[in-house]
Amino acid sequence: MEGHSAASGPPILRAVASSTRPLYQLLKAIHFTNKVYVEITENGLRFAADHARVMQGEPINALGDTFVSLTELQDLPSPAPREADADGDEDDEPPAVTFQVSLPAVLETLQIFGAADAAARQARADLDPYRSNLRNYRADAFSNQTLGMSGTCAISYAREGEPFSIVLDEAGVTTTCNLTTYIPEAPDDIPFDIEDISFKIITSARWLLDALAELAPTGPEKLTIAASKREPFLRLSSSGGPLGSSSVDFAKGRDLLETFSVGGRWVQTFKFDIIKSACEAMRIASKVSLRGDGQGVLSMQFMVEVEGSGPSFLDFRFVPYAVCDDDDEEEEEEDEEGESRRTEM
Amino acid sequence: MVVLNFTLSEEGVAVLHDALACMFKFSDDVCLEARKDKLTLTTLNLSKSAYICFSFAVNRFFSRYNFEGTPQYRDRFFCQLYIRSLLSIFRARPTSADQRERDTSIERCDVAIDDGVGRKSRLVARVSFRNGITASHSLPYEVKTPVHAKFNKDETQNRWVISSRTLRQLMDHFSPGIELLDINTDDDNRIVNFTCFTEKVQKRGVVNNEAVLKKPLHTNIAVEMDEFDDVEVENKLHIIISVKDFRAILQHAQMTSGALTASYSNPGRPMKLSYSTDGVLCEFVLMTVGEKDALVQKHKNPQKNAAKAPAQQLDSTSHRASSAASDNRSNPPPSTSRPTQSAIHARPRQPAFEIRPSPMPPPTTARSTGLFVDQTEEDEQWEPVNPDEEEEEDESGRLGWNNTNEPNPSSIRIGSYLSRQAEAQPEPPEGLVSGLEPTQRLDEVRRFGLFSD
Repeated sequence: MEGHSAASGPPILRAVASSTRPLYQLLKAIHFTNKVYVEITENGLRFAADHARVMQGEPINALGDTFVSLTELQDLPSPAPREADADGDEDDEPPAVTFQVSLPAVLETLQIFGAADAAARQARADLDPYRSNLRNYRADAFSNQTLGMSGTCAISYAREGEPFSIVLDEAGVTTTCNLTTYIPEAPDDIPFDIEDISFKIITSARWLLDALAELAPTGPEKLTIAASKREPFLRLSSSGGPLGSSSVDFAKGRDLLETFSVGGRWVQTFKFDIIKSACEAMRIASKVSLRGDGQGVLSMQFMVEVEGSGPSFLDFRFVPYAVCDDDDEEEEEEDEEGESRRTEM
Repeated sequence: MVVLNFTLSEEGVAVLHDALACMFKFSDDVCLEARKDKLTLTTLNLSKSAYICFSFAVNRFFSRYNFEGTPQYRDRFFCQLYIRSLLSIFRARPTSADQRERDTSIERCDVAIDDGVGRKSRLVARVSFRNGITASHSLPYEVKTPVHAKFNKDETQNRWVISSRTLRQLMDHFSPGIELLDINTDDDNRIVNFTCFTEKVQKRGVVNNEAVLKKPLHTNIAVEMDEFDDVEVENKLHIIISVKDFRAILQHAQMTSGALTASYSNPGRPMKLSYSTDGVLCEFVLMTVGEKDALVQKHKNPQKNAAKAPAQQLDSTSHRASSAASDNRSNPPPSTSRPTQSAIHARPRQPAFEIRPSPMPPPTTARSTGLFVDQTEEDEQWEPVNPDEEEEEDESGRLGWNNTNEPNPSSIRIGSYLSRQAEAQPEPPEGLVSGLEPTQRLDEVRRFGLFSD
């Protein structure tokens, strides 16, 4: 393989960030599968997760934002020759480098020095045998906050076949994590037709989360989303649960929906658990844009305000249950897909 | 058609939620009973040793209330619901710290019960939030007649009234893991004692088979009678209830501003705790521990076998000193019409304390000449094989009642049951009216309980 013999060519990717928290937060939001698909492009990193063909991706822009410096991305050394098309076409741009890593491993490594969120910190504190009973709500003498440690996180990927490396450096202690990479299975993006959008609603992510929290207690199977020009403008109904059924509508809350443009009536049914897997994203996001296309695919795009940098986007796509016209039954084609994308604004 | 239709304000929803949360500690289902003038929620715990009833007065509690009788439900409508579903509907939604937008508190809650021929029976609750979002929940329910505990107020001679907040503070002193609470009064010092203890036996000692208690700790809190609004209790009368139930009740009671009233009569008879607040009347009927005898309550009541009650472990195997108990049986139903049974028990193993005079020995003992076993003196053979075996959780021989007035024969010792019948026989008639000549003396066959005279 090209570059293999070179002692150390420039790595494909090297990105340095001062805090793991934003990256951790975003990755946690797509943590419903074990393998995450990483794509390194010119514009940044894109993480995509796929569950029953649910995919999320998240590119991180190179210039600024989370990463303090992102070096040497431009010279993507020759994966091109290896993947050269047989017909020898010149690609307009070098093809992206893709591989898969284990998502739980990435999340674990990002948490090595202090958990990135309070809940995980609490969970770890409970397991700590040396934790005292007194003052257990405060950071103890050895925590990062007390010692004033701050660290850096460097992500690098030397070349194909090399492990995906995360190096965490905190107050002189350096932890290097090399994560095995896998050849990615060819992911298919769920097609979302931008030309054929039936409706677009932008609202606060909080209302969507509250609505799902209202529906969840009955343990439902299915979630039906209906958008219409007249009342009730947006209605989410749950059904199939053992304890009854519920529905939430925004009939009186029209002004909660900041942007509201609906062509005709759009009604689709999804598997409740799949939509529920986006709850983490709803929790950290500030706004969500709901769009449905003519085929019934639902796109949820969450805007996450990340401290210290611009907003990130998480993009989810869901494919609904298919309705057979021939008979009355619904076929369960549970192709649901979500994508998370982070772009610089 | 809509049988019942009412609306609650935000405070009403909170009160309803608190009531349901209290009930949830006792049971999983609640029975809703609606009449024209009031709405009642009742439940019974699994071991049937606690009965809870919340009554909501229509004109004071609801913003709007309408009850339409149907041919099926003329005067009252009743159904059974899962408490868990209701709790999630009526819960207070968390409000965010930054209230940029309107908050997510509840503006109103409309509940309607839809029932009738050809319609799906549903309870539909529409919760309208201040920010404009409306959530509508549709719950199926089961039609089931509510069970009420009978409590005879006239029978109770003892009562005390105290502020529920004061009482709640007492509970903080009790350690977790205790089971029983003994309330007794001491007129000389003018105090009321709250003693809590547990009798759960952890293991048996090797030397004398003595019981090693799981938690050998007695905590006694002495409250001066002045703290009470009213005390009228027989001196040195001990009444024992379950701590878990009492704690659950006080947890709810402290949220009301009212005073808590307790009424009871004798150990083994039910005790009623009640308090009321704005339009809501809360009543709890708890069974109290009756006489303590090691072997009596080994009888497994099949009624309770079906219903496992994890907390109702009121086996008082060893502790007797705290009860100057009367000779009451272990299965006291809340009905009052059982004086005969309590008066004539033949108990060969007498407890340490005994208030009632021991009953006369049954007549059959004088005549145990024949082939048949003497019922009273050979009682051991009716005992279960291993009286010392650790009780399972479904054993709560102390408390419980059934809906009917009949005694539950399986929980009564067979020996005493039959001997009771034998004692209660009147003198046999001197002569027969007509028919065949008798071949045996009537007295000799009566002891088998074949004739229920």
